[in-house]
Amino acid sequence: MSDQPKPFAVDLKQLRSRPKDTSPAAIQSVDRAGEQHGFVARETTAKRGRPPSPRTGQVHAKVLPHIADEIAAEATRRGVTQGILIEEAWALYLAQKSGK
Amino acid sequence: MPVVVIASPKGGSGKSTSAVLLGTELAHAGAQVTMLDCDPNRSLSLWGERRALPPRMTLLVDVTESDIVKTIQKHDADGGIVIVDLEGVASRLVSRAISQADLVLTPMRATTLDATIGARTLALIAEEEEALGRPIRHAVVFTMTKGIESKQHRGIEASLGGQGVDIVQPSLMERAAFSALFEFGGDLHSMPAQGRMEEAIKNASAFAQAIYQRLTEAPQ
Repeated sequence: MSDQPKPFAVDLKQLRSRPKDTSPAAIQSVDRAGEQHGFVARETTAKRGRPPSPRTGQVHAKVLPHIADEIAAEATRRGVTQGILIEEAWALYLAQKSGK
Repeated sequence: MPVVVIASPKGGSGKSTSAVLLGTELAHAGAQVTMLDCDPNRSLSLWGERRALPPRMTLLVDVTESDIVKTIQKHDADGGIVIVDLEGVASRLVSRAISQADLVLTPMRATTLDATIGARTLALIAEEEEALGRPIRHAVVFTMTKGIESKQHRGIEASLGGQGVDIVQPSLMERAAFSALFEFGGDLHSMPAQGRMEEAIKNASAFAQAIYQRLTEAPQ
């Protein structure tokens, strides 16, 4: 004789569940109730401020002073970095080179 | 389908072990079970990575404060039992999970420290019941108990019982097989024998039946 316990079987039809309120108002009231007992938000929130730029490459270009002034003025006017102007100039150069 | 939330702000109280034992035994008994691992220590994930999950079990990991309600809601409707394993801290994730529970189970070692910290969950449940305007069924299960109950254990049990707290019988005893679940993965029925295996299976099965019984009773 095995001493193995008689396995029980789950009858899914017998299981009881009640509808739960998932409205933002209900969750807010639950959050407030939790805070009273020290159950507070502990997950780190997203870092504040500007996300890091993907532009990590660097060129070492020296240009004539008036060209430098014009690039700086155009970047300021458009509200972009000087790197973006160089990227656009490079794209134009490649397009020109390929004859498109 | 019912949602069982395993909650205690006390670390090391046996939450993940209780979750795995309950989930695997209910699945063994024929239920579809979805386990949600909301613990940054990823205890359930470690268990799940050891070997293939037992039949009828699904494990979802990295459930966070912002998606816990939606995740429970989604799986509440898919015809299985949802078991939520939480981190052993007092956090908003815990309070939100409790709001979606059909049963909150608080595992507790039979020590004054566990009982004192575990009682915070019971206080939170009472507060949430008021906030939501509905009762939330809860129960305590003693974990890592010995064959002979200590005086402290009897005292804590009597104190909780006197306050009307539902105490799950049987308690989960300290068993080599229970802790070995995290070494071998799977369930007690497929694991290499550890210690007194038959007694461990009997204990886990009776515990799961006690919880199943509560899940079949009409909501309060």
